[in-house]
Amino acid sequence: MTSKKIINKMADNIDPSLFEFAEYDETKGELSGYSNYSFWRSTVQVFMKNKVALALLIVIAAVVAFTLIQPYLPNQKSPTQIYINPETGMQFRNVRPNGEFWFGTNSIGQDLWARIWSGTRTSLFIGFAVGLFEAIVGITIGALWGYVRKLDALITEIYNVWDNIPSTVVLIILTYIMKPSISTIIFAMCMTGWLQMARFVRNLIIIIRDREYNLASRCLGTPASRIITKNLLPYLVSVIMLRMALAIPAAIGNEVFLSYIGMGLPIDIPSLGNLINEGRSLMMDPNQRYQLFFPAVVISVVTISFYVIGNVFADSADPRNHV
Amino acid sequence: MGHKSIEEIINSEVILSVDDLVIKFNLRGQELTAIRGASLDLHKGESLAIVGESGSGKSVFTKTFMGLLDANGRIEEGTIMYKGEDLAKYKTEDEWIKIRGKEIAMVFQDPMTSLNPLKTIGKQVQESIELHQNLKGEEAKKLTLEILNDVGISEPEKRYKQYPHEFSGGMRQRVVIAIAVACNPNVLICDEPTTALDVTIQAQILQLLKNLQEKYNLTIIYITHDLGVVANVADRIAVMYAGDIVELGTADEVFFDPKHPYTWALLSSLPQLGIKGEPLYSISGTPPNLFKEIVGDAFAPRNPKALKIDFIERPPYFQVSQTHKARTWLLDPRAPKVEPPVMIQKMREKWGGADEK
Amino acid sequence: MKNKKEILLEVKNLIVEFGSRKKKFVAVNDVSFNIYKGETFGLVGESGSGKTTIGRAIIRINPAAGGEIIYNGKKISGKIDNETDKELTKKIQMIFQDPMASLNERAKVDYIVSEGLYNLKNYGTEENRKKMVEQALLDVGLLPEFASRFPHEFSGGQRQRIGIARVLVMEPELVIADEPISALDVSIRAQVINLLAELQKQKGLTYLFIAHDLSVVRFISDRIAVIHKGKIVELAESEKLFENPLHPYTTSLLSAIPTPNPRIERNKKIEMYNPGISHFDYDKNPPVWTEIEPEHFVLGNEREIKAYKKQKQ
Repeated sequence: MTSKKIINKMADNIDPSLFEFAEYDETKGELSGYSNYSFWRSTVQVFMKNKVALALLIVIAAVVAFTLIQPYLPNQKSPTQIYINPETGMQFRNVRPNGEFWFGTNSIGQDLWARIWSGTRTSLFIGFAVGLFEAIVGITIGALWGYVRKLDALITEIYNVWDNIPSTVVLIILTYIMKPSISTIIFAMCMTGWLQMARFVRNLIIIIRDREYNLASRCLGTPASRIITKNLLPYLVSVIMLRMALAIPAAIGNEVFLSYIGMGLPIDIPSLGNLINEGRSLMMDPNQRYQLFFPAVVISVVTISFYVIGNVFADSADPRNHV
Repeated sequence: MGHKSIEEIINSEVILSVDDLVIKFNLRGQELTAIRGASLDLHKGESLAIVGESGSGKSVFTKTFMGLLDANGRIEEGTIMYKGEDLAKYKTEDEWIKIRGKEIAMVFQDPMTSLNPLKTIGKQVQESIELHQNLKGEEAKKLTLEILNDVGISEPEKRYKQYPHEFSGGMRQRVVIAIAVACNPNVLICDEPTTALDVTIQAQILQLLKNLQEKYNLTIIYITHDLGVVANVADRIAVMYAGDIVELGTADEVFFDPKHPYTWALLSSLPQLGIKGEPLYSISGTPPNLFKEIVGDAFAPRNPKALKIDFIERPPYFQVSQTHKARTWLLDPRAPKVEPPVMIQKMREKWGGADEK
Repeated sequence: MKNKKEILLEVKNLIVEFGSRKKKFVAVNDVSFNIYKGETFGLVGESGSGKTTIGRAIIRINPAAGGEIIYNGKKISGKIDNETDKELTKKIQMIFQDPMASLNERAKVDYIVSEGLYNLKNYGTEENRKKMVEQALLDVGLLPEFASRFPHEFSGGQRQRIGIARVLVMEPELVIADEPISALDVSIRAQVINLLAELQKQKGLTYLFIAHDLSVVRFISDRIAVIHKGKIVELAESEKLFENPLHPYTTSLLSAIPTPNPRIERNKKIEMYNPGISHFDYDKNPPVWTEIEPEHFVLGNEREIKAYKKQKQ
């Protein structure tokens, strides 16, 4: 036993009056504040530690912002107008990037700079729309599927049937039946996209459904709808946001694919899919490669950014990483 | 009983000596002091119980003996002397490999998660033997079966080939103990070994540990909050509160002649001492926030009999007997005489004082 | 004990099963007992004994596969109409075991405590509801300002008290406490036990106290039922049960209770319960739930009952 701390001597210069009883305040013991942990604050903190994700978040924010303000900047060209060289009277076809056309022009004389930003705007819009729809429909169906036991068998069957049809086939059929337009494409992608979200949500709900706090809510008479919205969904926020983040590059990818097989948006609506498709046909000519280069860069940046941000956010939202 | 007496234990050599250990954690940008200068000596062959509630630091304290501290924790000050080496200075896994298992082994609380569900239990025990006892093949298997038998697993040949999910909770805990014992350690740390088990199984496991202690010459540290378990197994008891050891003594001394107000409160609040129809003695409030620096006695805000000095200066240890000491200003000669609560006195009446043999 | 033995809850031959028709597991196997108004009825058993399942069957989380549960004269097991359902939500409530898992982490304490009120819609104005929440928090020894905080800001004991507050605010008659202190620290248990006892006195509550810790149950209960593998094996007033346990499972359970006395504990001999040996003739002579003396029931067959009766003399 270490005896360093043991005092045997009386000689101590401590004021004897300190050996009287102190006032006892019971509430002082209760107020020792327990923890000031805040879920969202910790999530943000962990997220910010990842410099790559943070940088990409800024990049994406800049890109989105720019696509919105670009048309209102001075000296911007129209994305659909065909520009004619006043001297020659000919279209400005396949002009390489120069001072006038910052990204060059395409084969019919349209300004690629304007087309790219307009296309990015359209594609992002499609992506967000699909992501939003997926979220709403996917969560609703997933929640009912996971929580209401009676619906489990029914929805599982529907899911199995739907899931077995390759999504590309569905996409192609739908776009073929309805005329290609922005709404068609959004609709087609939504038809297949909700499946994965619903499955995710359902699996998570099954895990937390029988936890004690949900049993408590049932004992208190809380209806299923409120248990889902107030008890279960808040726990799924991080997963939901991850899936939404990944939905956007997925939508863009689908759109590019559709353009590739000729089912994409009509050419008068610029989109990243169209632009890639146009550029692809000129890939072999080293002088014209710029037409593929710019849209490819934009797509890559957008896809990678959303992917990284979504994953890092999901990790940050995991309470086990909140140390 | 075959077990050593208190005199023998006190006089046997000290195999582990912790001095003024301070452990801190980095938690969400803030610093938490989990252990605030704790000291302890472990004698060969004894059963030492560390009693404390959640937040007392009892698990963290013993994890440092094996280098199992979480990544965001560190030993700030103090020494852990074992066989002439200071374990507190160990930094690399290589250094700890020499200690873990072979010298110090641990039995964890939850047998459901302590075992590998994909390996047979025979293999898991045998691995331990092969790693730490330099035996292989048939010899190792023979020893495995012997150990399985020692821990009370009947038909060891048959059960050797079974997987953890084929065992009940109590049997799984026996397997966990077998793995620990198979390392042939010097010191066995049992972290709440029976908390997750039913009462009847609990008694069996404690008896098992006592038997193993004799057969394998083990020194055991029990970490628990259950005073019943402590009464059953402990030779000496260390009471921990808010990262500090506030009282240390033999089992008889701590149960029948406790000196620290927290120990009083802990013993008094047991339902076994309650009188029906009257409220149980209870401590109000909650343990202190370890993020903030604690001035004086950590238990003072919850202690109705606290002295003014308890809020100003941390009490040193006061020796009550050769084996018994407590960190409370109430033991200072200048302090007023305070009688332990009625419950403790009742306990003495019911079951006899510390001096009765 | 209680002079006016008004029966509040009757459980008759209750059977609760889990799993599908092929792989059925019978968790509660023909259990019968009564709970009198104002008493604390202790239900003690080890894990897997079915005690939690009984509590959940009473509050209708688990459906009863057989038998009846009758509350205040009305049948409440099986199908019931909406009105009765609403009434029961108010009258019968439950306190859960794990304070870390029984509160919704993402909701404020205010919502957690008022959840039941929102469901019953009987609180009148918003003002009134706030007052009820305040009062409930004060009743359990918490400060009203805690209503605007989240559960993670509180300790285990405080969280358990929040769980009790949310039950109190419903003004129930019967409270099923399912291991309310098992997950709490030793020193906090006394706080919560005292609180429960105090509330019972103040509000005239009836408790079904489910636990595995016999010493706590002895302290707080008027009568105790011991349950083993889905069957109640003994039922008696607390002190009677401890002084004179009859069923071998009860004696084994009692012998295993840890006492905080080193001298007794060190030399304790545990009595093992071996149903194969004690009940070797159950196939030929199945056991019957018998009243050996007033208010002391045991599960045993003819041979055992004879032996128990001899023991009493």
